[in-house]
Amino acid sequence: MADFQIYESYQSLLKNENLSTPLAAILALTEMMMHSNAGTMFELLNELKGGAEALSRQTSNPIGLNAGCELFIEFITSFPQDAASFSELKTELIRHGQQYAEQALTYRAKIAELAFDFIKDDSVILTHSYSRVVLQTLLLAHKRKRISVFVTEARPRGLGIKTAEMLTAAGIPCTVVLDSAVAYAIDKVDFVLVGSEAVVESGGLVNAVGSNQIAIIAKAANKPFYALAESYKFHRMFPLSQYDLPSHNPGVLSFPQALGARALPASSGLPSKSSSVSSDNGSPIRITQEDIARNNPDVDYTRPDLISLVFSDVGSLTPEGVSQYLVGMFAG
Amino acid sequence: MASDPQSAANQRIVEDLVSRLRRRQLVGSRAAALETLLVLRQVVSKARSSNINQLVNIIRAVGRRLVEAQPKEHSVGNTVRKVLHHIREEYHTASEKPVVESSFSIAKFVLQGQPRKQTTIVRSGSEARAPLKENDPNDPDSFARVLKPVLMEAIQDVFDELETVYDNISKNAKDHIHSDEIILTLGTSKTVDSFLKAAAHYRNYTVIVAETAPSYGGREMAKSLSSAGISTFLVPDSSIYALMSRVNKVILGAHAILANGGMFATSGSLLAATAARSYSTPVVVCAGQFKLTPLWNLYHEHGALDFGDPSAVLGFDEGDLVEKVDVINPYYDYVRPELLDVFITNYGDHPPSSIYRLLKETYDDEDNEL
Repeated sequence: MADFQIYESYQSLLKNENLSTPLAAILALTEMMMHSNAGTMFELLNELKGGAEALSRQTSNPIGLNAGCELFIEFITSFPQDAASFSELKTELIRHGQQYAEQALTYRAKIAELAFDFIKDDSVILTHSYSRVVLQTLLLAHKRKRISVFVTEARPRGLGIKTAEMLTAAGIPCTVVLDSAVAYAIDKVDFVLVGSEAVVESGGLVNAVGSNQIAIIAKAANKPFYALAESYKFHRMFPLSQYDLPSHNPGVLSFPQALGARALPASSGLPSKSSSVSSDNGSPIRITQEDIARNNPDVDYTRPDLISLVFSDVGSLTPEGVSQYLVGMFAG
Repeated sequence: MASDPQSAANQRIVEDLVSRLRRRQLVGSRAAALETLLVLRQVVSKARSSNINQLVNIIRAVGRRLVEAQPKEHSVGNTVRKVLHHIREEYHTASEKPVVESSFSIAKFVLQGQPRKQTTIVRSGSEARAPLKENDPNDPDSFARVLKPVLMEAIQDVFDELETVYDNISKNAKDHIHSDEIILTLGTSKTVDSFLKAAAHYRNYTVIVAETAPSYGGREMAKSLSSAGISTFLVPDSSIYALMSRVNKVILGAHAILANGGMFATSGSLLAATAARSYSTPVVVCAGQFKLTPLWNLYHEHGALDFGDPSAVLGFDEGDLVEKVDVINPYYDYVRPELLDVFITNYGDHPPSSIYRLLKETYDDEDNEL
């Protein structure tokens, strides 16, 4: 048991392009069970919880994988224990985990089918960053309808460019817009379609940073904002503000104290070419993209009242509907 | 084999309803629902089936014919769905098979959050019925013989529900309308009419009725209300906004309630609802449960694509003008859920956001597409 490294296993699972973080987490826990020599349910659950915690500790943005771990552990807790022996029960549970991961891969197609009905011919769609389920939906829509797509660049990771490349390769008319140009573009857009990292108990959405401002703009322009989320992304969490997300840490949006104290470290690199401003003591000040990214959040939280509908493999739900599923799973 | 000899007879009543729907000889969602139910009762009583799937398929086929005849009359499809739901439920109780006691898996675990199906009223005194046998080669009629009486009973229940729908909606009218209030309504709606009249037994209040051009349903409504002794004002549609500051509540009828909590209603409703929003006046919708439609309004602007006779707007006596302008006279408005506050149905009062849940309880998911 001790030689099993859950984080390594999780990382290697993530190399599979199709596996999203919650599924990889479930599979990592399954693998952990295989290596486990726990003799009772209590021990097993303890180990799994430990594993989930270890995973969560080692990742900077643990929201997605938390959702997966939570689902799997809750499932095991409520699993009817009528197997003949504990090892049999364990095999059974492992089988369930793997079976689910396999089955869950079909969910994106299901969601694409659902969302497809909401895309009318000649639609202009705005999407944000990169999401496999959104991509699949757009590709499906492209087969039978004419669509064109605006993709935000989605700094700091810039994954929107990846989406745009893949859409263009598929022959879908597609333009990358700056994150700061969303309000400029919104009037040309019919609706917004985003993926998700997790959907939380309030019905709100955790997704790549920028989703929140897009939702606010969409609301102001009276455009529908649709989120796509596989049901394993339903997460039992109730953030009241951006800063309640587990991905938030004191480093995000912190002010460098150095500036006021005139102690900006000289190690901050080369001056940017456009402007070179000097601080009082003469050392040049420049801010690189990396500096910015380090100080900024990866994900943000979108309030449920900004979301029109959540499409998931269990149906198209209003944000309120999501919380009902969560309550059914974890409190039912 | 399921539909040869008896289909001819079925065909006749089905075709009769189809043509009446298509010619718009049958309008109004409750009337359509009632007629549909009568046809379905005939179909079920004559259907020869030896298992549940055959029966469901027969009903679905009939349902599809009817829905295609008049796709905008949503209550037809809704009634078919409701009957199918009841049939399945009766079948499950009769066959005494554990309903979904299948293996436990993570996917099923996720589904625990699904809204629970409406529990069937357990009929007391159900004497020990013969066990339900499907596909019995020796006695192919046994399935129908055992199940049919129960199904007829179930259909009768739906029937009774439709018969009493107005009373049940009006039951709580006095809790929604208070003394000396000013209510705004428009168009003719039997539901709203009986709701207002029921409240008038207990309260003294005033109703402003917009005349609702070009059908002028509001005029009939005003006539009917004033003859019941309610103080009634008839106003032109154009003054709805101007009067809104005096209005305490807007009460509307619906043509169909959609899964997102929005609705199709007589054109003019959107105008009233928008005006109400700007004065924060509550908008109350009275509608029977049979108007719940498992559809999302996918194409907002085309949602109301159901046009009436343009001559009501611009008559042919206008000669030259008719050639030069396009005249449209839509029957319905689509009213967004944000503009509505509450739906009063014969199954209680609900906010727009929980309509989707009612739908899951009322119909089976597999029937959404007939």
